[in-house]
Amino acid sequence: MVKEELSTENRPDNTAFTQQRLPAWQPILSAGIIIPGFVLIGLAFIGIGVALLVTSQSIQVMEIDYTGVDQGSPCFKCTDSTVSNCKCEIEFTIDKLFEGPVFFYYGLSNYFQNYRKYGASKDASQLSGDLDYFTSPATECDPYIKDNNDKPIVPCGSIANSMFNDSFVLSRLINGAKEVVPLDGKGISWWTDYNVKYRNPSITPLKNAFNGTVKPINWPRPAYELDTSDPANNGFINQDFLVWMRRAALPNFRKLYRRITEGNYADGLPAGDYSLEITYNYPVLSFDGRKKVVFSNVSWMGGKNEFLGIAYLVIGSLCVIMSIVMLIVYAKFKFPDED
Amino acid sequence: MQPNNDLSLHRIMNTESLDSGLTWEVKANSSFYHKHKQKKSFLCFHWGRYADNVVRSYKYSPLTFLPLTLFEQFQRAANLYFLLIMVMQCVPIISAVPWYVTVIPLLSVLIIRGLKDLANDLARRRSDREINTRPCDVLVSQSFQTIQWKDVRVGDVLRINKDQVIPADLLLLSSSEPYSLCYVETADIDGETNLKYRQALSATHTELTSQPSEEVLSAFDGVVFCEEPNNRLYTFRGQLQWRGEGFSLDNEHILLRGTVLRNTDWAYGLTVYTGSDTKILRNCGKVRVKTTRMEKVFNRLVVGIVLCVLSAALLLAIASSVFSTWVMSHTQFQSVLVVDDNPIYTGFLVYWSYIILLSPAMPIALYITFDMIHTIHSLFIDCDMEMYWQQTDRPAQARNTSLNEDLGQVGYLLSDKTGTLTQNHLLFRQCCIAGEIFGDASVRAEDVELMDLGWNPYSCGNLFMSAPMLVQRLREDQCPISRQFFTALALCHTVMAQWTEDIPVYQAASPDEEALVCAARELGLVFLSRTRDFIVVSELGIKRQYELLAVLDFTSKRRRMSVLVREPEGGVKLFCKGADIVILERLEEDCPHLDKTERALELFAEACLRTLCVAVRSVPEALWGQWRKTLTKAATMATCDRDALLETLYDQMETDLLILGVTAIEDRLQEGVPETIALLQEAGLKVWVLTGDKKETAINIGYSCKLLDPEARLLEWQELREILQSSDPQISFLKGRQTDVWAVGKESAGVKTSLVLTGPELAEFDQRPEWEPTFMKLADQCQSVICSRVTPAQKAQIVRLVRKHTSSVTMCIGDGANDVNMIKTAHVGVGLAGVEGGQAVQNADFALSQFRFLQQLLLVHGRWSYRRISLFLRYFLFKTCGFALVHIWFGCFNGFSAQSLYERWFIAFYTVFYTATPILCVAIFEQDVNAESSLKQPELYKCGQTQELSSPLMLLSSLLYAVYSSLILFFIPCGVFYNTAFDQQTMAVTVSMAATFIATIEVILLTRYWTKINVAAVCTSVVLFFICSRITQSAFLFQRSPIDYSFMGVSEKAFREPVVWLTAFLTAWTAFLPSLTAHALRVVLSAPNKHKVHSVSSHSVELQSKFRRRTSSHRSSHQQRM
Repeated sequence: MVKEELSTENRPDNTAFTQQRLPAWQPILSAGIIIPGFVLIGLAFIGIGVALLVTSQSIQVMEIDYTGVDQGSPCFKCTDSTVSNCKCEIEFTIDKLFEGPVFFYYGLSNYFQNYRKYGASKDASQLSGDLDYFTSPATECDPYIKDNNDKPIVPCGSIANSMFNDSFVLSRLINGAKEVVPLDGKGISWWTDYNVKYRNPSITPLKNAFNGTVKPINWPRPAYELDTSDPANNGFINQDFLVWMRRAALPNFRKLYRRITEGNYADGLPAGDYSLEITYNYPVLSFDGRKKVVFSNVSWMGGKNEFLGIAYLVIGSLCVIMSIVMLIVYAKFKFPDED
Repeated sequence: MQPNNDLSLHRIMNTESLDSGLTWEVKANSSFYHKHKQKKSFLCFHWGRYADNVVRSYKYSPLTFLPLTLFEQFQRAANLYFLLIMVMQCVPIISAVPWYVTVIPLLSVLIIRGLKDLANDLARRRSDREINTRPCDVLVSQSFQTIQWKDVRVGDVLRINKDQVIPADLLLLSSSEPYSLCYVETADIDGETNLKYRQALSATHTELTSQPSEEVLSAFDGVVFCEEPNNRLYTFRGQLQWRGEGFSLDNEHILLRGTVLRNTDWAYGLTVYTGSDTKILRNCGKVRVKTTRMEKVFNRLVVGIVLCVLSAALLLAIASSVFSTWVMSHTQFQSVLVVDDNPIYTGFLVYWSYIILLSPAMPIALYITFDMIHTIHSLFIDCDMEMYWQQTDRPAQARNTSLNEDLGQVGYLLSDKTGTLTQNHLLFRQCCIAGEIFGDASVRAEDVELMDLGWNPYSCGNLFMSAPMLVQRLREDQCPISRQFFTALALCHTVMAQWTEDIPVYQAASPDEEALVCAARELGLVFLSRTRDFIVVSELGIKRQYELLAVLDFTSKRRRMSVLVREPEGGVKLFCKGADIVILERLEEDCPHLDKTERALELFAEACLRTLCVAVRSVPEALWGQWRKTLTKAATMATCDRDALLETLYDQMETDLLILGVTAIEDRLQEGVPETIALLQEAGLKVWVLTGDKKETAINIGYSCKLLDPEARLLEWQELREILQSSDPQISFLKGRQTDVWAVGKESAGVKTSLVLTGPELAEFDQRPEWEPTFMKLADQCQSVICSRVTPAQKAQIVRLVRKHTSSVTMCIGDGANDVNMIKTAHVGVGLAGVEGGQAVQNADFALSQFRFLQQLLLVHGRWSYRRISLFLRYFLFKTCGFALVHIWFGCFNGFSAQSLYERWFIAFYTVFYTATPILCVAIFEQDVNAESSLKQPELYKCGQTQELSSPLMLLSSLLYAVYSSLILFFIPCGVFYNTAFDQQTMAVTVSMAATFIATIEVILLTRYWTKINVAAVCTSVVLFFICSRITQSAFLFQRSPIDYSFMGVSEKAFREPVVWLTAFLTAWTAFLPSLTAHALRVVLSAPNKHKVHSVSSHSVELQSKFRRRTSSHRSSHQQRM
């Protein structure tokens, strides 16, 4: 029989991809790599952990609860909600120099700023200065869209309405006399918040933009009069407002109030007695909340944070322990006769 | 004919035909009558009877595409689930994340699927149009006009030219050939490439062939009454009423749509069925959808996840109500925390919000990615050079693209024998004529010294038998019986001869016949041609014409065929060939050479040759006359019991035979079969052989392909039955083994037992279903099982038995139409594209050209697919759940308010952009060991059979791992950020970064085979996270839409904070630690042992195979004597 020329029409492509022979690196893990690897990583983690802990230890923190739960505490008198414009004063002592720059925070506990409906209750367009939204705020602001007279609230919504409104004056007691520590409130908010996210309407004076609107119900003053001392620090770009509007992650949080960077206190708070005068407005006891003031200085890693250092240490040690366990297991399996 | 007459006749016939079910009425040359009744439809109303001849295999029209494709896609539970989620997200009061977060993955899934369907549909439309516009000649008012296929109508008379495809089911009226025979090729219907003949009724033949045919044909006014359209390809019942006479019609008169007219210049046909009524289109039944074992487990798991999500949401909602109540009782302001001052209502809303928030735990992109991976794996199978068979230019083919991972889990391989283990390329090696054996099968076919057959002009030189003695006898006419033997071979068959360059090329339905006719040709008794009534044979150069009186055709039940011919000298002779059992019991008494013949049969069977007995009978004229009468009567009966009558009639004729001899055909084992079977058995597969052959042949093939160990005990039915009947089958089985002389140790005894059963014995299971589990348990302990003499239905039944009583994946492999049933029944069906028709391939999930390619398909592709897909599924589960479940823990810290911990864009992009490509690369490229090593270490395959990587337990552990990582993902950042000045958005960026890191490190650990693409995928995914974060948090986008891009500036600031990075790294590493530890422990534990196992196993295989080869011949002869 005549042998036909074999046709190869259907022969598959002989490429590395179709034949699954792409050049590849096949790392083969062996005990010889894994066990030292575990040790190395463990040691690295322990190293980072130690560094973090040491850094964290060097950071000074002073935390003062001024809620006034105890009857003996100075602010107890202000816990009665019927009292308005209540002021109380707390005295404290610093044993050694509190190195600067010192950051002055206020802290709230059991306060759910991360509640979804609470967080959604604002109007981003209104806050970016769009006047259309001044007259008709977004529905998300409910129940703080309009007041009882059907006038729109600006800034609308729960977050703005519940803005923290205690204020503090820190004084150093020198021989019985009070020397007010200058507090720097500039640049405590995020740059993007201050410059992009929140804008005042481009109307001067600012007050005119708010015509026909009302202030949030809980606010003592309208938005354009938030900072009476500095006309530029008003409206939606008021630093305290910006700090408040950036919602906290968890129910216990701090927010930056001021920095102590000026005058005699640029290098920190010297040892001595201090008094903190608090204008106590913000009610937290009704929901078991606590209010604190916190003084802290910062390092390269930010504020004091022992959790991170300890966690690194724990995980690092775990890795080392694992490597030891593995070594024992390996030895047992490799030389079973010796047992 | 008078109209009145016509009508009355009509009525009578109608009642008659209704009685016998012949209700389909076709009037020749009255297309108006049929056009009136054509099927039409508007919207959902249909009327009319006859389908038009348009093929509409497409599903969509421009108008219906969108609704239909959406309807189809939303039938998938996952898509529907996500649609519901999306609808819920549009309700502002509960939408925890905005609707477009879900819409991105959902739309991409819908669009990819939709485009794929659309492309397929367009391809179908194109092929439809191509078919519908094919030309054909139709008779219109006394002349033939060329029209398109789609315009052909029932009742039209068509002219089909040579090599044209037949456009509809036709009744053959006449053709250019004598007696209006015509030849058709049915490759499109059953895959068989040999020609078959069809023949017109003699009535239409004689009346309609006179010239000019157009006139006669247009005057043809016959009416056909036949069955309603059905899918039975090989039967047709009908009646032609013409000129007051009724002619019965059967399959032989019908030309089916899709067949091709060959060797015939033209044929005229009357259209009976068109379009969707034709037999071929009726046969395009729906393919049974097979799903893999893993997919089923996974689907259950997905349902489990949904239930878990729902219950978690419920718990969180209850907690939310409690929290709201507490808030209500404590506070006057912040009233936004409680909706409508109603804690229950608040909880209700939060419930839905949490369902939305937790919905990403349900992997939506999974199914589409799954499809994609399957397709690529199938492509790899199609393209594998190792499975490309050069000689037929045929690569392997994955016809079903969704069963790849089942290939890696096969526990039972059930194989056909003929054509699957053997080549089905048959060689005439020996024969026994009058008790004398010619040829020697112990010499390999290639080594046979070819005889000089130069004296025979028709010789092609493919006779691998050396018997000069026989040739001499034939040529010198010394031995009439050997001449008669080969004359019988040249006459008794259904082969067609096609002439190419003075040499007849034979077209045979079965390769056996072809081998026999070819052998006769080589030895000078050349079958030249056949017409309906004559067979022309050249007997050593002298042309002789035999009148063909009757063909008593072959059926698997009769297992023999005969022809009844009138010799040129005038005598009537019956030539019969068939299986030894049926022929030997029909011999005349005191038949000579019987002992020697039986001895020869035994010898041939030992040598694994297929045998057929050839016998002859001189039929007395009187008997023939009488028999013919009965036969004609039977033919006109046109009833169902005609078959039974024919059988007894044939039986009467095939008696008193005189044995001429025995043919011995070698069906050689395919290349590499013993090695493949040994390899598969080492891989833990149970190989069963199911064959229609006789037991001895099956057992011998079993030995020669190493399926049976020479030392194995063969457990046959008698013994098995006793074991099954005994009170404790297990004990009697063991006892039987211990008494066995060959069994050395207790452990190895089980391995060395093989079950040998036959079809009739298996049928007993029908009566005793309680034996089945015990039988399976015993079969499980045996080395192999051989079932001989089984019918196609029984083959499927055995597969069903295995499926029912084991949880293993079954695979069936076969090459013939008789294997179709079992191929369809098994989890995975493999068809061998062999000598027999293509039916097995058409019904199979995978098509191969050689049995030995199975090793590549199973041990390489199957194992890889299984591994890749298991890794993929488990990783997918881990990454989606780990990332979504974080919200449960965060809920405890935000008053159960369904606050999202992530930026909305992160949720949308996480599964699609940040984590999709690396695992996709793993699912495509991953190889733990390369192809060569996979074949060298078959024991690696066992991992799939035991579901080591995909067991419910493993999937559950992935889920637990996901829960663990979600805990870490939340609580470490929570610990870091607790009571600090960090805001929620910074924490969100930190957690997202950690989540991306975890997903990436995990996939790095999974990947063992790092191609450049893997590296690129991993790098781009991580880089993409940083780039996309910066983009969605940019001032530019914020100014376009402040609400949608509320994270403006966060990452910019966060990426500068060392604490964020330290936290993300710590979180990722802590989450990853258990996975790494488990992996490391596995490496440490397995490393020292692995090496030992390999060296030992490969050594023992080598020894065994040598041993077997040496002893196999001894063993098989022993078997024969038993």
